[in-house]
Amino acid sequence: MDTEGSNSPAETKKAKSKTPRKPKSAHVLKQKSPAEFFADNKNIAGFDNPGKSLYTTVRELVENSLDSAESISELPVVEITIEDIGKSKFNSMIGLADHERVDEELYDDFESAKAREKRLAKEARHQEIQAKNASVGKKVKGPMATKPTKSREASYYRVTCKDNGRGMPHDDIPNMFGRVLSGTKYGLKQTRGKFGLGAKMALIWSKMSTGLPIEISSSMKSQNYTSFCRLDIDIHRNIPHIHVHEKRENMDIWHGAEIQIVIEGNWTTYRSKILHYMRQMAVITPYAQFLFKFLSDTPEKNVTVRFARRTDIMPPIPVETKYHPSAVDLLLIKRLIAETSKQNLFQFLQHEFVNVGKSYAERLIGEMGPDFSPKMPVKSLTAQQIVRIHQLFRQAKFDDPSGNCLSPAGEYNLRLGIIKELHPDMVATYSGSAQVFEGHPFIVEAGVSVGGKDVKQGLNIFRFANRIPLLFEQGADVVTRTAIKRINWNNYKINQTQDKIGVFVSIVSTKIPFKGTGKEYIGDDISEIASAVKTAIQQCCAQLKSKIVKRIQAREQQERKRSLNKYIPNATGAIYDMLKDMSQSRASKKKRYEDKDVDLLNQVSAHLVTKQTLKEKLTQHVEQVDYEMALEYATQTGVKEEPREDVYIPPLEAGVNWVGLSRPSTAWCSPTSLRVVLGCIDNGFVWPTGLEAGMCDAKIWQA
Amino acid sequence: MADKRKRRRPADDSDSESDSKLPFKSKLKPDSTILQTLKTLKDSATAAASSSSTKPLTLSDLNLSTACREVTDLSLSSVQSSIESLILSFAHSILAGNGFSFSVPSRSSANQLYVPELDRIVLKDKTAVRPFANVSTVRKATVTTRILQLIHQLCLKSIHVTKRDLFYTDVKLFQDQTQSDAVLDDVSCILGCTRSSLNVVAAEKGVVVGRLIFSDNGDMIDCTKMGMGGKAIPPNIDRVGDMQSDALFILLVEKDAAYMRLAEDRFYNRFPCIIVTAKGQPDVATRLFMRKMKTELKLPVIALVDSDPYGLKILSVYGCGSKNMSYDSANLTTPDIKWLGIRPSDLDKYKIPEQCRLPMTEQDIKTGKDLLEEDFVKKNPGWVEELSLMVKSKQKAEIQALSSFGFQYLTEVYLPLKLQQKDWL
Repeated sequence: MDTEGSNSPAETKKAKSKTPRKPKSAHVLKQKSPAEFFADNKNIAGFDNPGKSLYTTVRELVENSLDSAESISELPVVEITIEDIGKSKFNSMIGLADHERVDEELYDDFESAKAREKRLAKEARHQEIQAKNASVGKKVKGPMATKPTKSREASYYRVTCKDNGRGMPHDDIPNMFGRVLSGTKYGLKQTRGKFGLGAKMALIWSKMSTGLPIEISSSMKSQNYTSFCRLDIDIHRNIPHIHVHEKRENMDIWHGAEIQIVIEGNWTTYRSKILHYMRQMAVITPYAQFLFKFLSDTPEKNVTVRFARRTDIMPPIPVETKYHPSAVDLLLIKRLIAETSKQNLFQFLQHEFVNVGKSYAERLIGEMGPDFSPKMPVKSLTAQQIVRIHQLFRQAKFDDPSGNCLSPAGEYNLRLGIIKELHPDMVATYSGSAQVFEGHPFIVEAGVSVGGKDVKQGLNIFRFANRIPLLFEQGADVVTRTAIKRINWNNYKINQTQDKIGVFVSIVSTKIPFKGTGKEYIGDDISEIASAVKTAIQQCCAQLKSKIVKRIQAREQQERKRSLNKYIPNATGAIYDMLKDMSQSRASKKKRYEDKDVDLLNQVSAHLVTKQTLKEKLTQHVEQVDYEMALEYATQTGVKEEPREDVYIPPLEAGVNWVGLSRPSTAWCSPTSLRVVLGCIDNGFVWPTGLEAGMCDAKIWQA
Repeated sequence: MADKRKRRRPADDSDSESDSKLPFKSKLKPDSTILQTLKTLKDSATAAASSSSTKPLTLSDLNLSTACREVTDLSLSSVQSSIESLILSFAHSILAGNGFSFSVPSRSSANQLYVPELDRIVLKDKTAVRPFANVSTVRKATVTTRILQLIHQLCLKSIHVTKRDLFYTDVKLFQDQTQSDAVLDDVSCILGCTRSSLNVVAAEKGVVVGRLIFSDNGDMIDCTKMGMGGKAIPPNIDRVGDMQSDALFILLVEKDAAYMRLAEDRFYNRFPCIIVTAKGQPDVATRLFMRKMKTELKLPVIALVDSDPYGLKILSVYGCGSKNMSYDSANLTTPDIKWLGIRPSDLDKYKIPEQCRLPMTEQDIKTGKDLLEEDFVKKNPGWVEELSLMVKSKQKAEIQALSSFGFQYLTEVYLPLKLQQKDWL
């Protein structure tokens, strides 16, 4: 254990609280390291409470792993394990002896005699009611879930994440983890990370809650060794504090990284969030394989979920791009000037920005004024001149940036993900073209599904930003609002409250305009994004509509006769009653009728025409109409047999290992097991299904 | 003391000093002057009515290019015989194996036409087929048959029932009252008779108070002696008759609250008038009653509605008819209603405080803009101006906004001043 850890948060606090007492040092100017800042404001990085911290730790690790694997074009295999560490185990880990409680009343969860009395009385009453219900024969509900007495004792978890990614260079590892705001993802490109904090914030959290160091093993493709590093972070100085940093033998030619961290968390309350996150991640990245495990001392609480890979088509890696002139601010221009390798203003404009060509750069410089010339050294620009450039950038017209630098999930992947995780009856996807908001290109993709298992009735909204799921603060999000308020589902023959609707919207951009401190939603106030989202959802709905209409027609076809027959008694009854009234009143009042009507009324009074006759005749008519319409329907639809393509079975690897269909659990380090993808091209949509381990019932999705 | 005296005798003169706190009170002239202006208004209305009554314009006089459909009051026996001939033809058709089918005049808004010469909406002649042997129409066809049967029974027994009664005779088939009500209007159109001819009435909704005496089913009713609540307008107009009045005008009020204020203050004693409200959108009975008063008594009608799009809409329903009942607009509309207030321009003119004005919702603004496109608004330039002002200022106010100057401001100052200034459109 690190004995030098004199900078633990508890002590920092203590030191701070003392300062006011010493008036001399009260006004000393203090500086905060970035690590300290995030330790103090951990909520903005998603570490609001132990539960959320566990969730955020998991997602940061998973997202790092995906980025890492994608950066070397490897199909990601991510294995994440959360291990519940009991209190005594935790104590032994940190070398603290277990302490028995001596003074029970000292603790918050101590049950006073009065409280116990109350509880026992309540339980007795409950049992009484139960017994009563049982004797009456009512369905007996399960025993009342006795609320576990709220304990304030923290629970600790070991989170392990292993991937098959790039790995990290041996020497860089300490800085990559132990220094906040240093990273590889700070260029302008579409990235998963939100703050560039990644695992570092998890490390700060572990430092704050458990004080245990992080353990990293990593190996790169060309290396014949694995790096092992155990370190924690010096929060005050924002530098790594290395315990162990060594090279070890790489036994099984593995590349990637494995990170192990022990933190305080709360699995009970964030269980569903974490599982939802994994599920949605599997939707948006169907080319990855996830194995999620939760382990604890009580086996029935254990969870193991495997999200199998369904495709080997990966979206391209997002490329780093240059800034669009309308997206830069003064500071950014200054930074670009400081960093540029170009000598003069002309070259600077032409090479450091997108959509500024040679001639356009010249025109811009001409417009800037007499103080500017193309050949002037860019580093010599004065502050005023930079302001002028900034002004012109704001006012001048530039072509919109292209979406080439973006990497959307792709319609194919989105569709696969939806089908794989929700098994819907119908699904439609749409991918919009790139659009622009404040100089940053964005692409909106959407999928709408109807039906499926584990889907609740009504709208189920799944939001993705830069290919990561957003789970919190759904209400204010642009996607939620659009789907609920601006889409008229009735137009598409979809029932907003009855049908099981899945709405998936994925937005990718070089800069996602998040709202809220936790960056958990995208605001509804950006009309460009709102309208793009609306169009994308509407496009999906329009695709679905034709299918739904066809289905309704088919159903109508089946039910026509039944629904027509249902009304025959009512209609004929009413008509017959009137006829009877007429025939009676005719006898008494001698009303005049035409001859054929007189005949009819005579037949009614003679019971030659009865309710039954009318019924039979009308039924005959209905049957005839039904037959005619069925014939018509058949001539319209019967011949439309869609051409089908052959089944496509691509081998994943040349050397197929026929050990058996059951996949070893270590498949992710030797991905040689068999995978078969069946594709059935129908109506232009591809609906492949995977062959699960040991099961050969490949389902063919029906249109 | 002055206040107390005033309440007891509201028709008293109004230039006492204590009233100066009410804004614009000083502008009021003595009641006799106002009465004089009202008399001239009445005389002009009577003159106009008598001149037009010599040649009442009907649809057939106009020779419109599009054919239009109108209904007439039919006697019970003729309703009965037209139902019977329809049913007999159905019976023949069914026995011949052809099923049966209704031909229902369409009441959709595409089939409506505003006729400026008549100043009301009429129904064009488009019809829809409603065959029994079709999934989409089978239900409606059955409901229509059933309603026909019920009305046939009413004819045989010559009694009246309410729409609610009708619905409850076969709840299982009709499912909810809107369905049976809609089919009832369809039946009126099919048979070519007014809804009152079907002997089906709606529950009482409208009330009337003031200088009016009429007979209801033989009983003489004096509307000045009906207490504060007034007399409920009888649902079937055919039992109303013998209208007499010494009123100078009819005051149409949108809201129950304003009506109560006027009735309690006995406004009709200060300025002889008849006060009518239908508590919101008017029902058929109130509209029939209005028309009857207007044609028989030849009085001018002035309206007091909220300053919002719905107030104007209610005004238009009295004046030009609703789209739903346009087939009977000839009997249901009261032409030449003057819009007295609360008009959007009054908000500033009477310095109604900000806290009493409400911002218009998006829906309100949309309704307002839609109204601006309607022909019955466009024909009156004053209305267009007021409505444009409302949509522009995005503010609305209810009649109750005037209560900010005191509950009786409406009867003490606002209405008298408006009448004095002939401030109607």
